[in-house]
Amino acid sequence: MKKERVLIVPCSGIGKTFGTVTREGAYVVTEDLCPNETKLVPLALLVLGEDEARATLSGARAIAIDGCKLACAAKVVGELGGTVAHSVQVVDVFRRHRELKPSGIAELDENGRKLAHALAEEVKRLVASMTEGTTHA
Amino acid sequence: MAEESIRVTVDKFSFLFPKELSYSDAGVWVAVEGRRARLGLSDFAQQRNGDIAFAKVKAVGTQLKPGDEFAEIETVKVNESLPSPVQGIIVEVNAALEEAPELINQAPYGKGWLTIVEISDWESDHQHLLDAEDYAALVKDQAETEIK
Amino acid sequence: MPELPKRKVGIIACSGEELPEGTVTRLAALRVLESLRPHETVTICLPLFLAGGEGDRAFARFHPTIAVDGCEKRCAARGTEMYSGKPAVSIVVGDSTLAKSGGLGSGRQLSEAGMQLVNSVADQVARHVDELLHLDWDRRSGRALGSSHSQDQSKARQATCSCGSGIPVQTLQVSGREVALVALPLIFTQFREDGKPPIASTKTELVKAVKVYNPIPDEEEDAYAEEILRAFAAFCQGRG
Repeated sequence: MKKERVLIVPCSGIGKTFGTVTREGAYVVTEDLCPNETKLVPLALLVLGEDEARATLSGARAIAIDGCKLACAAKVVGELGGTVAHSVQVVDVFRRHRELKPSGIAELDENGRKLAHALAEEVKRLVASMTEGTTHA
Repeated sequence: MAEESIRVTVDKFSFLFPKELSYSDAGVWVAVEGRRARLGLSDFAQQRNGDIAFAKVKAVGTQLKPGDEFAEIETVKVNESLPSPVQGIIVEVNAALEEAPELINQAPYGKGWLTIVEISDWESDHQHLLDAEDYAALVKDQAETEIK
Repeated sequence: MPELPKRKVGIIACSGEELPEGTVTRLAALRVLESLRPHETVTICLPLFLAGGEGDRAFARFHPTIAVDGCEKRCAARGTEMYSGKPAVSIVVGDSTLAKSGGLGSGRQLSEAGMQLVNSVADQVARHVDELLHLDWDRRSGRALGSSHSQDQSKARQATCSCGSGIPVQTLQVSGREVALVALPLIFTQFREDGKPPIASTKTELVKAVKVYNPIPDEEEDAYAEEILRAFAAFCQGRG
């Protein structure tokens, strides 16, 4: 069975450390951990709500990664008719890794990078659960 | 609630302070209901601190004097010990916060309340608290420098 | 009642992850906010415009904005215009000579050339911030007001308390039509508290304060001034 890649949509929020963690975590997933199963989708492209954005989301399943409870990534994907298979909140990952209190927005500190990796590992497991028994385009 | 609240806007941030509440300068609000005082974190304090990952409130039966820690919160920015603005004994804690500390961010004056204290000297406690207008004036300066 | 807000500039970076230019926009915006102009700027999250960040939307309606985009798609500039108001300045990083020469690294990790471009873009943004804070700026059209610039008041978007900013608006009749002036009640309050009377000598100063937050076409300035002074007199009278 052939299947579309899972879309990874981080919020990349610019105001908080957790926004940068979503960004870094998304890079780790799409470039290091699951390069063949996932595709990174910039949220900025979706914000305009144009046909190209809708086409990107059409028929694919997405994992939205958000840095705060406003959940911009999940909301935007949903509003454009995309399927949010999983919505991941960095604060929830942090609760499971309390020792990794991150800092930095332009550049994450070591804890931030570790938290991004922990996030990426969780997303990788979600991707695996979504793609079992499939091969990727 | 907005009509009965004072709003402070700093840049892209807005903070609401219900007029019927009293506030400590540490950002704890107090609502007195008979001999009991409900305590929570002000809108400004919760926004300044960021998403709350952990909240731990002292157990029922804990005796408090003004200034004693009655709760601890942890966010990505801070680990903060919250000083009690009143004296008395804790008679109820918000159990929902154990599973969902984010309630403090989502509804600081509602479901995100922290604890209920049976107060023993409200007259004295009240003298050290601010009304919404004075608290709003206090936090405006803080917000200008601390909130980004 | 909220105090008269300090005028600042909002910076909206596209933060696109795919291209190094997207990362340049993000790091340049943060450099301006954290180091170059920390007291004059606010960063605004682009996705929040769509996801309902009332504070971000309200800020961008009231203050001038600079959109910084990585590529010609100009997501930040167009998104800002779509959800708030036209940016006063729109910068496309990919247009710069340095970007065109390549070698910026990747979205994830910029090269030394990429970091140089961050500094260059940040400096460019900071210069625009300085210009905007010294110009009379039209938040509706995203343009600086000049003598040749005409205003189409019929297209005016009103910023009101309900926009989320909490900043009050007062409507006046100027030259036979209604105009909404942002922050007018706050300006009146401040003038009254400073002991300034509603007399002709106060008029110029009053108009200058109003122009910080509102576009006033040059050719109509006298008419605006008369109505603003009249409204200030009524304001003072109403308060004894």
